[in-house]
Amino acid sequence: MSEPVIALHTVKKNYQDVPVLDIPRLELPAGIYWLQGENGAGKTTCMKVMAGLIPFKGEIRLRGDVSSKDHPVAFRRLINYAEAEPFYPAFLTGRDLLELYLGTKGGDRRLIGEIAERMGVHVFVNNPVSTYSSGMLKKLSLLLAFTGNPAVILLDEPLITIDTRTLAIMYDLVRTWHANGTTFVITSHQPLDPNEVALTGTLRITEKNITLN
Amino acid sequence: MRSVTAILQKIFTAQFYIQNTGFFLVLFYLMFGVVDSGSLLPYHRGLMLGFLGNTVFLLLVLALWTLYALKCTGFVMKVLQSQGYEFLYPTMGSMDKNKRLRAWLLVHNAIYLPVWLYAGTAMVVGFRYQYHGAAVCILLFNIAMAVWPVALYDRKLFQPDTFFFTGYLQRWLNRHFTKPPVLYFLYELFTQFPRRILSAKIISAVVLWLTFFLMHQGDYFDLRGLQLGVMVSVLLHLQLLTHHRAFDDTWLNFMENLPISTFRHYIRMAAIYLMMWIPEMVMISVNAYTKTSPLSLLMVFAMALSLLMFFRSLLYFPKMNNELHVRYVLLTCFVVLFMVLGHNEWLAILLLQTLSAIVFFAKYRKYEPHIEP
Repeated sequence: MSEPVIALHTVKKNYQDVPVLDIPRLELPAGIYWLQGENGAGKTTCMKVMAGLIPFKGEIRLRGDVSSKDHPVAFRRLINYAEAEPFYPAFLTGRDLLELYLGTKGGDRRLIGEIAERMGVHVFVNNPVSTYSSGMLKKLSLLLAFTGNPAVILLDEPLITIDTRTLAIMYDLVRTWHANGTTFVITSHQPLDPNEVALTGTLRITEKNITLN
Repeated sequence: MRSVTAILQKIFTAQFYIQNTGFFLVLFYLMFGVVDSGSLLPYHRGLMLGFLGNTVFLLLVLALWTLYALKCTGFVMKVLQSQGYEFLYPTMGSMDKNKRLRAWLLVHNAIYLPVWLYAGTAMVVGFRYQYHGAAVCILLFNIAMAVWPVALYDRKLFQPDTFFFTGYLQRWLNRHFTKPPVLYFLYELFTQFPRRILSAKIISAVVLWLTFFLMHQGDYFDLRGLQLGVMVSVLLHLQLLTHHRAFDDTWLNFMENLPISTFRHYIRMAAIYLMMWIPEMVMISVNAYTKTSPLSLLMVFAMALSLLMFFRSLLYFPKMNNELHVRYVLLTCFVVLFMVLGHNEWLAILLLQTLSAIVFFAKYRKYEPHIEP
């Protein structure tokens, strides 16, 4: 097995006193993974933990040496996350968010500009997000997940609310970025199209733990 | 089937009067409850003749009516921005223009009605007692107050991103200015909760004005007296601090995925409160720069900022609810007050800064909103 891109060690997450995740060990080499689980199994919590959005016990390492505990800033530079149902303060525009992500995560502005045009985000990028439909918000959130130079991109339910044209663009982005070395973990209740992406493996959340098949 | 007007009156007018019942009860008491019933008519006639015959008094009354018109306009705009009322855009947007403007006119004037009733009576009194100029002025003013918001509501319908009267400015800013994270909370307050920030600032200004007024009456200036006023002013911001935590919890979770160091988050918090306290700093500087040294003024500002930062940092303890927070805040103020009285202000500032930094750096990455079981 090749060097893991992301490794979870004794990761535990409780909501108040209720345990939600208890993952003794999980190591994923580079690839595209489909994270499966029933409603309430902890898929989104797991993604938020991996993205550093919520505190947890244990440690996650990226590319072997970047630790969630010891290198919180470098860790966040290497992992991006697109929420299932993104929401942002009403007064922010898409451009505000893009500038914030590009300013902190870095990355190729020209490339992001091209993706924005392909997705049609450039049309509404100067409007406040309060005026966006759920599909527009989803497109923006997906675009933000491709900023910087991430080693891992987490996509939470990327297939919902976006139109078929954007779906094709998203599959294309996943293929291209994966070919350049980015690992994807994707949750979806709908199966990912095998003609569009070749899955490296399937992750399943059961009994608070994740297993790789 | 109910008419469109009746439905709109239910959505806007009925809700306005229900939500402002307390306001109208107080207003009613002040207008009609403080005078015995036998003197009520002569009292109000005297009041009306007072502002009809005096330009300054009339301007004051017109200013109060303007405030009420702004309150009405703010209410309608807030409803249009509220979740669950999105259906108003496609439905009202499909109405014939004349019919739609008539509907807005009815809605606005139904909530502006209390002013129309009082102003109408004043006009009748004005014409009867030969104050024609003032009566016509009142009529024209109220026609303007009854009409301009209609144009605003109608524009909002087709430009939903318009928060108030700043639509063009907003769009220009959105195209040419990127909002830095340090401004997010202030944007939230000014766009979503303007009354909350304005009332806190007005009361804070009154407290500081009173502080200077009392010192002026006593013909002395004591920095400790000013700092006492500053502490009260800081306490008036407590509601904004808890609002800040709720805003961060609800809307800024996405920022935790950004590679931003804890130190930068800390500096952002300091900058937010520094900016929030600029009006007070200006007011204090204007009133005190001839009476004390720049270093003393700097100390007063540093004290206010340190208190605000420490009180905000306390909210990074997830179980710190409002009641607990107020207890710790009052305890802190008690200790700081004695340090100020003993001229140990810089020591108090150092302690507050150290404690807020310790709490912030220890808690920021571990913080998660507490949900009461």
